[in-house]
Amino acid sequence: METKYIGEHLLPGELGHFFVLLAFVASIVSTVSYFLATRSRDAINGSSWKKMARVAFFIQVISVFAVFGTLYYIISNHFFEYHYAWEHSSRALPVRYLLACFWEGQEGSFLLWTVWHCVLGTILIRTAGEWENPVMTVISFAQVCLASMLLGIYFFGYKAGSSPFTLLRNDMAGAPIFSDPAYLQKYIQDGNGLNPLLQNYWMVIHPPILFLGFASTIVPFSFAFAGLWKKNFTGWVKPALPWCLFSGMVLATGVMMGAAWAYESLNFGGYWAWDPVENSSMVPWLCIIAGIHTAVIFKHTGHSLKACFFFFITAFILVLYSTFLTRSGILGTTSVHAFTDLGMSGQLLIYLFVFLIPAYTLLIAYQRQIPTVKKEEALDSREFWMFIGSLVLIISAIFILVITSIPVWNKILGSHFAEPVHRRFAYNRIEVFIAIILALGIAMVQYLKFGSTPGGYFRKNILLPTAVSLVIGLLILLFGKIHYDTFGNGFLAALIVMMFASVYAIVANFSYILFMIKGKMRSAGPSVAHAGFGLMLLGILISSSRKEVISHDPMGLLTGVFPADSKENSRNNILLYRNLPMQMADYEVTYLGDSISTPDGKHYYKIHYIRRDTATGKVIEKFNLYPNAFINPKGQQGLISSPASKHYWTHDIYTYLTSVNDPSKIQDTSQYYPHLVKVGDTIFFSNGYMRLDGLDTHPVSPHYQAQPGDIAVGAKLTVYSSDSDIFKVLPIYVLRDSAYENIIPDTLSQLGLFIRFDKILPEQRKIELSIRQSGEQNDWVVLKAYVFHYISLLWLGTILMIIGFAMSIYKKIVPKKQNPVKPIL
Amino acid sequence: MKKSNIVLLVLIAVTIAVIISMVGDFSTYETFASAARQPGKDFHVIGMLDKTRSLVYDPVKDPNYFSFYVKDKAGELEKVVYRGAIPTDFEKSDKIVLVGKMDGQQFECSSILMKCPSKYKANRKAESQQLDSKL
Repeated sequence: METKYIGEHLLPGELGHFFVLLAFVASIVSTVSYFLATRSRDAINGSSWKKMARVAFFIQVISVFAVFGTLYYIISNHFFEYHYAWEHSSRALPVRYLLACFWEGQEGSFLLWTVWHCVLGTILIRTAGEWENPVMTVISFAQVCLASMLLGIYFFGYKAGSSPFTLLRNDMAGAPIFSDPAYLQKYIQDGNGLNPLLQNYWMVIHPPILFLGFASTIVPFSFAFAGLWKKNFTGWVKPALPWCLFSGMVLATGVMMGAAWAYESLNFGGYWAWDPVENSSMVPWLCIIAGIHTAVIFKHTGHSLKACFFFFITAFILVLYSTFLTRSGILGTTSVHAFTDLGMSGQLLIYLFVFLIPAYTLLIAYQRQIPTVKKEEALDSREFWMFIGSLVLIISAIFILVITSIPVWNKILGSHFAEPVHRRFAYNRIEVFIAIILALGIAMVQYLKFGSTPGGYFRKNILLPTAVSLVIGLLILLFGKIHYDTFGNGFLAALIVMMFASVYAIVANFSYILFMIKGKMRSAGPSVAHAGFGLMLLGILISSSRKEVISHDPMGLLTGVFPADSKENSRNNILLYRNLPMQMADYEVTYLGDSISTPDGKHYYKIHYIRRDTATGKVIEKFNLYPNAFINPKGQQGLISSPASKHYWTHDIYTYLTSVNDPSKIQDTSQYYPHLVKVGDTIFFSNGYMRLDGLDTHPVSPHYQAQPGDIAVGAKLTVYSSDSDIFKVLPIYVLRDSAYENIIPDTLSQLGLFIRFDKILPEQRKIELSIRQSGEQNDWVVLKAYVFHYISLLWLGTILMIIGFAMSIYKKIVPKKQNPVKPIL
Repeated sequence: MKKSNIVLLVLIAVTIAVIISMVGDFSTYETFASAARQPGKDFHVIGMLDKTRSLVYDPVKDPNYFSFYVKDKAGELEKVVYRGAIPTDFEKSDKIVLVGKMDGQQFECSSILMKCPSKYKANRKAESQQLDSKL
């Protein structure tokens, strides 16, 4: 007999599932119709197919948005009978993170991707003109693939996709709780919630931007494919170019947002770790950028068309490949961003080949028909060196891809390679040369002209920026403190060359804007983007090579347990007891206590930094940092901590906790120690002392209400802490009705002090004070602190580069009003 | 032959040379025994955390000393020392990838990569256990 379950909301799930199916079917109809419209020779027939295709595509768009809305409705109403809501959200989750848990899961992120395709497709239908039919065939087909990822339907025993609308009781069929019709009320009151690490505003904005970047790579791909398909080998470049720039801009924004997220709120200790997940998002970007450069070469000279086809096709294939890498579970042993296999890797692989095979087959088949320029590029032409630059970008991409794909090689070859032991250095030692070549190219190539450059033109114009860069580079060399010799002097030399080259790239591009195009901002997009990229290189170079650990553990240094040559193991964690200052580089650092911020259960730890003048000891600056952490969050043990940074223009002080004393395990074992003192005596405690100033026979204290018949004496104490803070305390001894002793202690929470006035010993003219100091030994944190120098250059460069992209797109899509001038780049 | 083709060939040759030289850098997944044969050299070792033995991390004594026991693929049990703080959720992990070297009777590791399915995605088994535990 069918169990009748109580309290379930089945309608939204059924609606959602219906719309997934509708989107799937409509996108098939749209693909077929667009395909037939493209093939049709007869104008009337073609236009009726096109009409049908458009209608189907719009039905698909509406369905996809309906799916999105339904899933959001389920999550925001906490319908935990749905597996997706139960797994990713909880009642306590702030509303602003509901979207974050929407795309935490595999299904939600595919949904996000398909939503962006809808948006891009709608814009293309309005703007692509004659290219609409073939381009939209490809995009509609991609929509078929993505919709099938959300189906969760069995075809011949193979499960296609995974539906976000699966009910918990169907997904976990067999679990005993589902034999109870009221399981929802009894056992499933709350969901698992969003991983605390992801409860962050970056998680709300980073995935949509990154997925827009990924989704947008299909547009250049579709144009290139359409060019091959329609054998219109040259016409597609111009309409595709703004899209390529858009793709480059958004993908760069998405990737760098990920870097900023890692830097700001994850405790990876930096912004880039060459993790496979990071790499696989950067490689398609490199390919897109190479494609943009070859497209520009083609537009101006007719050269490089084949390369242009190849790069735009490959960029999208690389996006599919990186989706496969990160979501198939194959990176299990190399990445910290562990995605486990959801059983969809086969399907992902099929999609990779479904796009890869036709595109490359057509490219190879029509290879000879793609027009080429017979005349060779001259050595003093801009196009020759731009082409070299594109090749260098691709070489960098291939290199990163080969190492990142080690787990794939192992799978194919049956080998057992592991990635290089010093991962960062393995990448950096090659990439530093790539960066040098690129930076030099960025600086110099724009001073060449397309075709050939008249004698003296190049020399005359490049002289000033070269001289200025050399001077600035020398100044940085002298005062910039770049002496990173961990991996030897050869690498240091390469870094210094890279520094000069990056400075050159920045200066030469600004000088190009000022003197070559005379500040005409309409044409300045490429130079702004290139200067931004140069600034990023400089920021990466300085912040990474001068990254300093300041939380060296003095205990380790004293015992010498740890030899200085073991660099990767240097003792970088420091233990701070509450209120006990420690010296870290220039800073005197004190942990002052923690506070819990409701309602999310996050603890904020107050870390006080003081910098003193070394000669006079005068305080130059002081500030507090509040690194925070979740302790034992739901379903996890230990600490999930986020850093806090003090930002300066020239550097960041970056602090995060690596361990805290578990508050549930703290037991206050401290006890009172008696001290016999007379007026004027001092008593020492762990981080200061107190002095008995005198006795007060009419004590006034908020803790004490005088009553008639009381004999009350207060002990006036002045407490001097080692931080040279001064406090007054007044413990009181009361003899009520000549018999009953009443002791009113005083406390000093800042120092964890409890002071009792226990006895008066008149004959010795002494009193007995009992003192207990708690907390200090029980309350501690272990933290790590870094200084990142000039990291602001990296963020500034990123923003500049994105602005440069936007300026270039503007120039391409907004026609010039006045008389046309010769376009530059 | 066109200049760009020559450049292309040269660049391809350089790429291949670099990648081949990189392959020499690739380490392989080793066991404690094979790592012990070349002391002082860094290796990747995959193993399982032995949860029956205690994890030692006492920050009050030393915030940069963490030790635990791992059983490698060959079934050999070794003490592993990590000079740093205990990573989050360490107790829950089972499969562990260590990078480091054998030093006498212990494995000095410089980085730990944990595979805990619960980190980003709960796995089915853990989920159904969790549902069962609600009863």
